[in-house]
Amino acid sequence: MGMLEITDLQRDYITEVLNISMGSAAAVLSEMVDEEVSLSVPEVDFLQRSVAANKFDQANAARMSGVTQAMTGALTGDALLMFPEEKTLSIVRILLGDTVPVESLTEMEQEAMCEIGNIILNSVVSSVADLLKKEIVSSLPRFIKGTGNELFSVETGDEDDLVMFLKVDFGLESQSINGYVTLMLNVDSLHDFISQLDEQISAA
Amino acid sequence: MLPDASHINRYGEAEIIASPADHLFGKVLDLSENGLFLVDSERKIILWNEWMVQASSLKREDVVGSAFVDVFPALKGRRVETVINAALDTRTASLLSRSLNKAIFPLYFSEIGGEQQRIEQSVTVKPIQSEGHDYCLVQITDVTPMVQREDVLRVLAKEAEEALQEAEEASRFKSEFTSTVSHELRTPLTSIRGSLGLIASGVMGTLKPEIGRLIAIACNNTERLLFLINDILDISKIESGKMDFVMGPVDLKVVLLQSIEANQAYGEQYEVKYHLNDVVDGTTVYADTDRLMQVLNNLLSNAAKFSPKGVEVDINVIRKDEMIRIEVRDYGSGIPEQFKSRIFEKFSQADGSDTRQVGGTGLGLNISKAIVEQMSGVIGFNVPEGQGTIFYIDICLFKET
Repeated sequence: MGMLEITDLQRDYITEVLNISMGSAAAVLSEMVDEEVSLSVPEVDFLQRSVAANKFDQANAARMSGVTQAMTGALTGDALLMFPEEKTLSIVRILLGDTVPVESLTEMEQEAMCEIGNIILNSVVSSVADLLKKEIVSSLPRFIKGTGNELFSVETGDEDDLVMFLKVDFGLESQSINGYVTLMLNVDSLHDFISQLDEQISAA
Repeated sequence: MLPDASHINRYGEAEIIASPADHLFGKVLDLSENGLFLVDSERKIILWNEWMVQASSLKREDVVGSAFVDVFPALKGRRVETVINAALDTRTASLLSRSLNKAIFPLYFSEIGGEQQRIEQSVTVKPIQSEGHDYCLVQITDVTPMVQREDVLRVLAKEAEEALQEAEEASRFKSEFTSTVSHELRTPLTSIRGSLGLIASGVMGTLKPEIGRLIAIACNNTERLLFLINDILDISKIESGKMDFVMGPVDLKVVLLQSIEANQAYGEQYEVKYHLNDVVDGTTVYADTDRLMQVLNNLLSNAAKFSPKGVEVDINVIRKDEMIRIEVRDYGSGIPEQFKSRIFEKFSQADGSDTRQVGGTGLGLNISKAIVEQMSGVIGFNVPEGQGTIFYIDICLFKET
């Protein structure tokens, strides 16, 4: 248990939809920083909250940092974009170019990371809203850091809630930086999500 | 800030915005420390607070009712227009950071003396729904002081980095200087020692006893000077990272027996014998043979120096998982309490008076520590029950890969 089984077809469809929206987020970022930025989603899973938190801590003993936005409407909960802390640092400093040689992000750099997260999370959330054919309103981004478990326990929600767990590849200056996007899904919205998915697959 | 708190939902979005500026809410908005304006679904600006009036030099009556792109023609097609559209069409909230969007709106503050300076901005764009209508609230925060603070921080951090580099440079120069001087000293000293040795041995003719005594003193002190110079050379090599290590499998028993043999004569001066307890044959450690010998020689000679006459020095080898511990135990008077914390520091000896009595440069343990650490090992000491001190080094077992 701890994982929702979806068919290969369903998985391929979601992955494709997400990759298209990531592509447009990357285009926005590229234009802003005048540099080639690529974003892709190689993996999509639906996991129980505790399983997702463990998966984080196993994969990343180090602390994570990133951006969170609260969602209301068709989905209620938090959307998170996370990277190992030092990766967040390099993403921001590569994108900004002008660096402050200190070990953690300055306030202005955190704000820049918030904007990067905002662009990525908005594109993920809007593609999920499109799939659901419902509205999801998200709050402004907030910078966060902590271990996987800490970041997940910040979220409120039922133990049965599932997390849509995306691996994200952030391509920058010939580096590939691995991060994660997670969206909380309550069980009802998940069923909606799957049935809308099937409808669109059969229409395609 | 925003109007009546009861109309603000948990995400800080106002549900209702007062329209006429003469309303109380309008006055509140005019007192805001942030720039605020509201765009309706037709992309017209319907609210323009006092902060915006001041910073843009655009009067409220000229702005309210005009299309956003007519007020800011230069922003047509730019990201800020895109996110305003997204807020109105898909209720998406966006942040435009100062760092990734330099000075989004043409806003200025006047400095004393009348000069105008562009305001550094952080901009948020939030959707608002009220009575079935969609609006978009744009808030501008002046982050100029924060930007200035970080500019100062950037300069300070760069200065600190440069200072560190200069200090490292100076330290490298010092090490190189020490190394060169030591080399230059060693050459003439070697020939002095050679000559004195020949005279002392009597090949130049028999010496009068009083001359013989003086020559012996000269010989001993030349010897000590050479040891000191060699140690200083080692220290400068370690400090400049130029001490080379050839790491590989080393047969521990062979190295221990060689070290003991090399120190035998030295031990006899103090009437001390070395006793090696059982070592498993074929125990192989991962080390540099010569450097490991240097550390063992240092520990063995120290043990002899601080042992009472006629007592043995014990050498034990203990296996601890993937590590090997080599212990050298003497039965001397132990390390004085106040000296324990700085025993591995340079030029440290228990006290000045001891130096003359037992000899040595006070550099040996410092060098040994650096060598052992370079070989991924640990050096330390224990105070065993009864008399004496145990110095130990832990080094890695050799593993076939």
